[in-house]
Amino acid sequence: MIEISEHTLPNGLRIVLAPDPATPIVAVNLWYLVGSRNETPGRTGFAHLFEHMMFQGSRHIPRNAHFRHIEEVGGSANATTWFDRTNYFATVPSHHLDLALWLESDRMGWMEPALTPETLENQRQVVMNERRERYDNQPYGDWDERLQALLFPPSHPYRHTVIGSLADIEAATLDEVRDFFATWYLPNNAVLSLAGDFEPEYALERALHWFGEIPRGPEPPPLPPTIRLPFSTGGTLREEVRGGVPLPRIYAAARVPPFATDAFYAGEIASACLGAGRSSRLYDRLVRARVAKSASCHLLPLTSGATIFVAIATGLPDTDAEELEAALLGELDDASTLTAEEVARAAAQARTRVQRALQRMETRADLLSMYAAHFGAAERLNGELARLQAVAAEDARAWSEAYLHDDNRAIVRYLPETA
Amino acid sequence: MDRRIPPAPGTIRPWALPPIRRARLESGLDVRTVRAGSASLVTAMVVLRAGESETPPDRAGLAVLTAKALEGGTRRLTSRALAERLERIGAGFGAATGWDSTTVALSCMAEHFGEALPLLAEMVASPSFEVAEFERYRAARMATAVQRRMDPAALAADHHARFVYGAGCAYGRPLGGDRETVGALAADDAHDFVAARYGANRAAVVVAGDLDPDEAAAVVEAGFGGWGAVGKGGTGEAAVPRQEPGRSVHVVHRPGSVQSEIRIGHIGVARTVEDHIPLTVANLALGGSFSSRLNLNLREEHGFTYGVRSSFAARRSAGPFHISTSVESRVTADAVQEIVGEIEAFAADGPTPDEVAAARSYLAGVFPLRMETPGQIASRIGGLFVFDLPGDYYRTWRDRVREVTPEAAAAAAGRHIRPDALCTVVVGDAEAVAPGLEGAGAGPVRIHELEPAQS
Repeated sequence: MIEISEHTLPNGLRIVLAPDPATPIVAVNLWYLVGSRNETPGRTGFAHLFEHMMFQGSRHIPRNAHFRHIEEVGGSANATTWFDRTNYFATVPSHHLDLALWLESDRMGWMEPALTPETLENQRQVVMNERRERYDNQPYGDWDERLQALLFPPSHPYRHTVIGSLADIEAATLDEVRDFFATWYLPNNAVLSLAGDFEPEYALERALHWFGEIPRGPEPPPLPPTIRLPFSTGGTLREEVRGGVPLPRIYAAARVPPFATDAFYAGEIASACLGAGRSSRLYDRLVRARVAKSASCHLLPLTSGATIFVAIATGLPDTDAEELEAALLGELDDASTLTAEEVARAAAQARTRVQRALQRMETRADLLSMYAAHFGAAERLNGELARLQAVAAEDARAWSEAYLHDDNRAIVRYLPETA
Repeated sequence: MDRRIPPAPGTIRPWALPPIRRARLESGLDVRTVRAGSASLVTAMVVLRAGESETPPDRAGLAVLTAKALEGGTRRLTSRALAERLERIGAGFGAATGWDSTTVALSCMAEHFGEALPLLAEMVASPSFEVAEFERYRAARMATAVQRRMDPAALAADHHARFVYGAGCAYGRPLGGDRETVGALAADDAHDFVAARYGANRAAVVVAGDLDPDEAAAVVEAGFGGWGAVGKGGTGEAAVPRQEPGRSVHVVHRPGSVQSEIRIGHIGVARTVEDHIPLTVANLALGGSFSSRLNLNLREEHGFTYGVRSSFAARRSAGPFHISTSVESRVTADAVQEIVGEIEAFAADGPTPDEVAAARSYLAGVFPLRMETPGQIASRIGGLFVFDLPGDYYRTWRDRVREVTPEAAAAAAGRHIRPDALCTVVVGDAEAVAPGLEGAGAGPVRIHELEPAQS
C-alpha cells in the first residue's frame, strides 16, 4: 500500500504526493494531457516534436541548461510522448527536489519566449533522425504504423503513430508550436506527481511556490466525437510486407475495451495467460513446439474509445509463414478455453509485475500521474492489483470470446525476400 | 523570487549501501546477501565464471547457448514443468551470458523465496539438456544470428569488433557465435561445458531483497548445499592483441539504408585498470551523458542524430572503447569528421575543470539512483565477483569519484583514448556514403559487401 495524497492548486494543477524514504531520491513526474491523439490532420508527430522543444530552454533557463542542471546533481531526466499524454520526468537526489520543480515550472510558465526558428529546425532534424533510426532503418520498424492504419478508421485519433510522418514533421511551423503550447501546456491540463524521499507538507509548499503563479488557461478542446467505435473491425484486415526482414513475423491485433474500463482487467489477465512467461500458451504451443522463435502479446493502456491488443510471433528461418500465422490465430481463437489454473498463474505474475513497477520511484510517480489523469484519482493505483486478482477464469474467457475473433482482427505479415 | 537563479539544495541525507553479508561454503561457493528495497521483492542470481571469452573459436556461442538451454529443464523437471513451478508463484527467471560470466537470475516475492531458490539451484546444478529441447534453443540462437545480419546496430557492433580485434581474438567475434559454430554444437557440448565450468568454486550466489540476510543465506546454503566443485579452469581472460596505430574506415554496404550506423574506436582497457574511475569521469564528459561534448555537438548543434554516446566496455581483458551513433545518410562524412575532431581534442587536452566537476558530481549523486532496486544491487555485487574487485568496493566508490582531479581525468583520457588508432565502421548505403568518407580524415575507406542473408 502506497501512502498517497492528492491536492489541486488554485490554477488547476493537480498534485499527487507519495512519500517513501527508502532511498534518498525523489521522482518528479509531470503529465500533460495531450498526445498524438490531439494532433490535427497533416501534423502527425507534432506532439512529440513539441516535447523536444520543451528541452530547448525557457525564459530563465538557457538552452542546454536543463539536462546540465539535472546531470550535475546526479539526476536523470527524460520525456516521452504517447497517444494520450506527454510525460516529463526527472529523478534527483532528494535534497535537490527544488531544482527539479524549478526546471519543470519554468517551462510550464515561461517556455514561449525561448522558442526560435533555429531550435525548431535543430529539433526537427533530431526527431526526423529518431524516426529514421526507429522506423525506417529497422527491420519491422513500421509495424505499428501499418497496424494502426488497419485497425482504426481515418477519422480516429489512433489511426496514426506518435512519431508521425517525415513530411508532417517537416511541415511544422513555429507559430504552430506556439499555438500548441498555449492550447495544451496549462496547469489545468497537467498532473504533477512526486514519489520518494520528502515531507509532503514541504513538497506541497514548494510546488505552490514554483507553479502557483502560472495562470490557469482556457479549458483544452475536447476530443472529437469520432473516438467511439465498435470493438469489431468487421472482418479480418490484412497487409503483407515482403523484403527487408530476416525472419517471417506476424502481428495480429484486435480493437478492445480501453484502459480505465472494467473490461480492461479481464483483458490484462487473458493477455497474460496467452503471452506472459514460459508457461503461457503462446510460448508453449508456438515456441516450445518449434513453430516460432518467439511469441508474445500485450495490451496497450490507451483510453480513447478503444485500445489495441497485439500478438506477435516471429518464425524460425525454416518456418512457413502460413503455418506461423495459423498457429498464432489458432491461439487467439482458442482463448475462450482459458482455465482457472492459467488465470491463477497470470494473477501471480501480475502481482510481481505490479510490485516491480512500484519499486522504482520513477515508475511509481508516472503511474500516479496516469491514474490521476485517467481515473481522476491516483489513490486508485492502490487497488489495482486486487482488481487484477479478482478476474475469474470465466471473465478472461468471456473477454477472449468477445474480442479475439476473426471479425475483429488486423494482421500485418512480414516475409523475408527469399521466402 | 528570482527565477534565473537555480534553487539551493536542501540538507543532504546520508546514504550508504546496506551491509553485505558474506560467507564461503565448503564447496567454495561465495554467498553474498543483502537487505534491499521495500517492495517485498527478492532478486537472486548465480554468477558463474563461464563466459564466452574462453570458448574455442570453433565452439563460439557455446557459453551463451548452454545458459539459454538451462531453461529447457532439469533432470527432474521438464521445461514446461519448471516454468509452471516458478510462474505459478509469480517468479521470473532467465539466463544471460557475457564475455566473462553467465548469470542465472530469479526474481520473486520475498515470501516465495524459499520455494523458488531451490529451483534456481536445480537449473544450474542439474540441467537435462534433453536433446529436442537443446536443439530448439540452438535453432533459436541460429535464428538470432540471421537477425543480426539485417539489424544495422548489430551489424555495426559485430563488424567493429572484427576489425578492431581481428579474427584471432575472442572479442573479435559476435558474442553468441555465428550460424556455423552454433549449428555444430550438440547437447553433449553443453554437458561438457557445465562439467568444466559450472561449479560452486567458480560461482557466487547473490541475494538482494526485502529479506533478512542471514535467512537468505540459510536458504542459499540449503539449496546449493549439494552443488560440488569443478576443476580450477582458466582465468577468464581473453588474449587481446596490442592496439597498433593507424586509421581505417570500413563501409559495410547495406543497400537502401536511410541512415548510417557508425562505430568509431579501438581496443580499450580492462575493467580492472588502475585509473578506471578517472577514466569513467573523463568518458562522461566526452560522450557518457546527455550534456557531453559529442551529444551537444552532433545532436544539439548539428541535428545529425537522435543521440550519440561513448563507452569503455567493462570486461576482464581490454574491451572496446567506442563511439556509437546513427545519422542520416547524407551527413555521414560530416558526422565522422566531427567525431574524430572531438576525439582528437579530448585526447590532447582532456576535459575542462568544469566538465570534471560536473562529471564527478553526476557520478557521486546518481549512485543511489542506480542502487534503488534489489535487481540493481544484486547486479553490482555480482560484478564485484566477476572482476575480482574488493567486497567493499562500493563503500568507498563515491569518495574516490569525488577525489578525481582534472589532471587525473586528462591523464586517463590521454592514456586510453588513441586518436591515432581509430577504426571506423559505417553500416549504410555505400553508394551514398563512401565517396564523402574519403575526405573525412578518418583513414582510407574500404567497402565490404554483405553475403545475402539466408534463411
